[in-house]
Amino acid sequence: MKGMKVKTDSPVTRKAREGVMEFLLVNHPLDCPICDQGGECDLQDQSMAFGSDRSRFTDNAFTGKRAVEDKNIGPLIKTIMTRCIHCTRCIRFASEVAGVDDLGTSGRGSDMQVGTYVEKMFKSELSGNVIDLCPVGALTSKPYAFTTRPWETRRIESIDVMDAVGSNIVVSMRTNEVMRILPRLNEDINEEWISDKSRFAYDGLKRQRLTTPFVRNNSGELVATDWETALFDIAQRVKDANPATIAGVAGGQADLEAMVCLKDMINRLGSEVLCTEEAFPMINSGTDFRSNYVMNTTIAGIEESDLVFLVGTNPRLEGSLVNARIRKSWVHNEMCVVLLGAPVDLSYDYQYLGDSFSVLKEIADGSHPIAKALADADKPMIILGSDAIQHNNGSLILDTVKRIAKNTKKSLNHPDWKVFNVLHRNASQVGALDMGYKPGMDSLKCDKPSLLFLLGADADKLNNDDLHGNAGVIYIGSHGDAGAQMADVVLPAAAYTEKDAMYVNTEGRAQVGRQAVSPPGMARHDWKIIRALSEILGVSLPYDKLSDVRGRLAEISPTFDRPGRVEETGFDNVSDDVTIDKITHTGATAPVVPALLKLRDFYMTDPISRSSLTMAKCVQAYDEAEANPYSKPEAI
Amino acid sequence: MASPRIVQQGIKQVKPLMSVDRTEARRRVLNLYKAWYRQIPYVVKDFYLPITVKMGRDKVRELFLKNKHVTDIRIIDMLVIKGQMDLVETANIWKQRNHVMMFFKDTVNPKPKDFLSKFYEGQE
Amino acid sequence: MASKLLVSVRQLSRLNYGSPCFTRAMSSITSATGSTDVDQKKDEHKGITISVPDKVDLSTITGVPEEHVKTRTVRIFVPAVNSMQSGTFNSRRWRMEFDERERWENPLMGWTSTGDPLSNTEVHFSSKEDAIAFCEKNGWDWFVEEQKKPKMRVKSYGANFSWDKRTRVSTK
Repeated sequence: MKGMKVKTDSPVTRKAREGVMEFLLVNHPLDCPICDQGGECDLQDQSMAFGSDRSRFTDNAFTGKRAVEDKNIGPLIKTIMTRCIHCTRCIRFASEVAGVDDLGTSGRGSDMQVGTYVEKMFKSELSGNVIDLCPVGALTSKPYAFTTRPWETRRIESIDVMDAVGSNIVVSMRTNEVMRILPRLNEDINEEWISDKSRFAYDGLKRQRLTTPFVRNNSGELVATDWETALFDIAQRVKDANPATIAGVAGGQADLEAMVCLKDMINRLGSEVLCTEEAFPMINSGTDFRSNYVMNTTIAGIEESDLVFLVGTNPRLEGSLVNARIRKSWVHNEMCVVLLGAPVDLSYDYQYLGDSFSVLKEIADGSHPIAKALADADKPMIILGSDAIQHNNGSLILDTVKRIAKNTKKSLNHPDWKVFNVLHRNASQVGALDMGYKPGMDSLKCDKPSLLFLLGADADKLNNDDLHGNAGVIYIGSHGDAGAQMADVVLPAAAYTEKDAMYVNTEGRAQVGRQAVSPPGMARHDWKIIRALSEILGVSLPYDKLSDVRGRLAEISPTFDRPGRVEETGFDNVSDDVTIDKITHTGATAPVVPALLKLRDFYMTDPISRSSLTMAKCVQAYDEAEANPYSKPEAI
Repeated sequence: MASPRIVQQGIKQVKPLMSVDRTEARRRVLNLYKAWYRQIPYVVKDFYLPITVKMGRDKVRELFLKNKHVTDIRIIDMLVIKGQMDLVETANIWKQRNHVMMFFKDTVNPKPKDFLSKFYEGQE
Repeated sequence: MASKLLVSVRQLSRLNYGSPCFTRAMSSITSATGSTDVDQKKDEHKGITISVPDKVDLSTITGVPEEHVKTRTVRIFVPAVNSMQSGTFNSRRWRMEFDERERWENPLMGWTSTGDPLSNTEVHFSSKEDAIAFCEKNGWDWFVEEQKKPKMRVKSYGANFSWDKRTRVSTK
């Protein structure tokens, strides 16, 4: 106010601050030496800055400090509620951001307790964020407990690849070991949160790791060898194979550098067969136009929208931070959500239209009331899940949805607003499509490959029938999962925390993930393995350093040259005209549902989380929570 | 990724270190070379070095030619000063034999240079 | 005979051998540079300026080994705020750090060993341009990561109690 004299550092102010700190510390236990938050504790910081240096707690009557029982809210969050200072950040986060109303306070005054009142698992995919929020050590990370102190770790800023959102993370490492993963602020993508899988699956980086090259011997066993033997074995197989049918498959967490090296090498060997595990309908223009397969409005753009139409997707489990953004918009900006697919619990209310394809067709024709709502909306958005278009009807669904988007755009007030979006599940998909990989393995299965390179492909979609005769399979990946099991030669590569790699998220934003630890054992970086292999095969790739590979990426697409920025997709009208076909379907079609429906499946989607003990404990706890009468059951 | 290079091709006016033009700097460099050339037999004798005088003189030539691409006069002056300091320390026997032998890197295992050898050897 | 032996012994004697060498060494430096010591700056050059190219490359005189100039990449950034705390003081200065190289656990004490001399090097700058100029001078490859600032949000406490909007909280 004008004319007010505000003293921020007078003796009275200081005394008052010391008094407030004293009140906060009256019932706070002397746990600093055993508390995980020591070194990064807000309470420690505030008492150092503003508190008194001596305590007046003489406790002549031996009443002691108040103590509170620990609550059990799951295998991820360790609660020591004695340390709680009742700031209610966790309660407000759970209620407002995560949409799970489980946490609350009971009692009042000195007897106030923060918890779930009845023993319930905090069933949310964003539950780990309360660990960051809690200013004291009341809520800490259970897998991280007692492992390290923050000052002895190095913080390396990187990108998460557990889903396609590309959340920014900070990897804390000590002595070549990943100790924990924390979120990093990025207003455009993940704000300040990360999902549980990104946060806790890091212990999967130490289990089931491939550390030496393997070659399958005559009795069918994989025998550990050294690099030279393995690479020469592959050279022999390449010599025996038909060059036109050498194929490559990029897995869900493959990085751009490895994918471009694989593509260049296979092209130089004489083949064009390169695909991704995840399918995308290739009707008409297919993946030629970027706007067909990218989240055009960007994740930050969700906040401007006023109507979101979700088709065949479960954003809560497929891209948890996109769901958080939709919820934020739903709460603050009065956004409406319409869902066509499975009636999952999305943490906000939505209008459910069923799961039948006929509803989609009606909206496209304009006979459904939602079509009118889309036309009236100021900035409507349609999010199509990549999950729903995996099977044969995918092309039909894509066509119909694009037609809905086109109709909506006719009555749009904002010419620059993009309506159509695709939410992917894999971190590598958009990058692979940008680079020219064919989506889906149908073309691969058509011309049976004589030699197959699997770049971290663990989705178990191939079996030996799809290969030609005694074709060889070479697996380049970090974990011994499904791909390594069917391989003849296994080459150990690096996981996402162990290499400087670029990934493109579902918005089409390229981001650089950095190396935090070095690959274990004899494992090498993915692109270096392919480059070495190319040299032995005689088609040596012209890249010696990482900057050369990045230069090659820049040649392919300007997206790869500008990490951190999202390029606006253009040519929408052209792509609409070319993509949409006058398909008239005949007969019934399968329902438009996503595959990822239950939270227990969320914990086990990629090789790193499948090898993680923490994720296994989460699945176990979830199963136990299903038996709990107080726990809210899954909608499906 | 291509880092945005700020290509500066301008010229600036600065205070000189010692030489004011290239000829003076060249004179300094050549004098330093002569001094080192003439000192080499005494270096070999003083430190009982396991090299011949020719090897020593070749090494001096090699080290001088390593910096022949430098065009900035101040940097040439700085390199000359460092060379002179090295010469004074060597001639006055303030160094020891292993310090002088560091120029020859005889105890360093040569690192692999080509991609495949580096790949087999380790991470870098 | 004896005098010859004495001469030979004298010749072999270290000190005897040393002194002619000593003066010889000094005279060659003197003849080359005009003094027994390193070149000094002359006052007669006061006020004179010379023209040098704008781009200075100090990599030959900094003492950094050549492989650590040519093969390393520098990342210029503002460190991310620790998400466990509310303090933002660390995110004021720009910092420069090198790409990560291999670290392993030392078998003796379990401490971290590395073969990378630049592993702990972090240099702080007050602005991005200073950091870029420093990297250019030293001859390192660099790239900049832009600072991510939190967005200022308009908040209204009354919205928590609104009777008709979804911002009404269920946890009071």
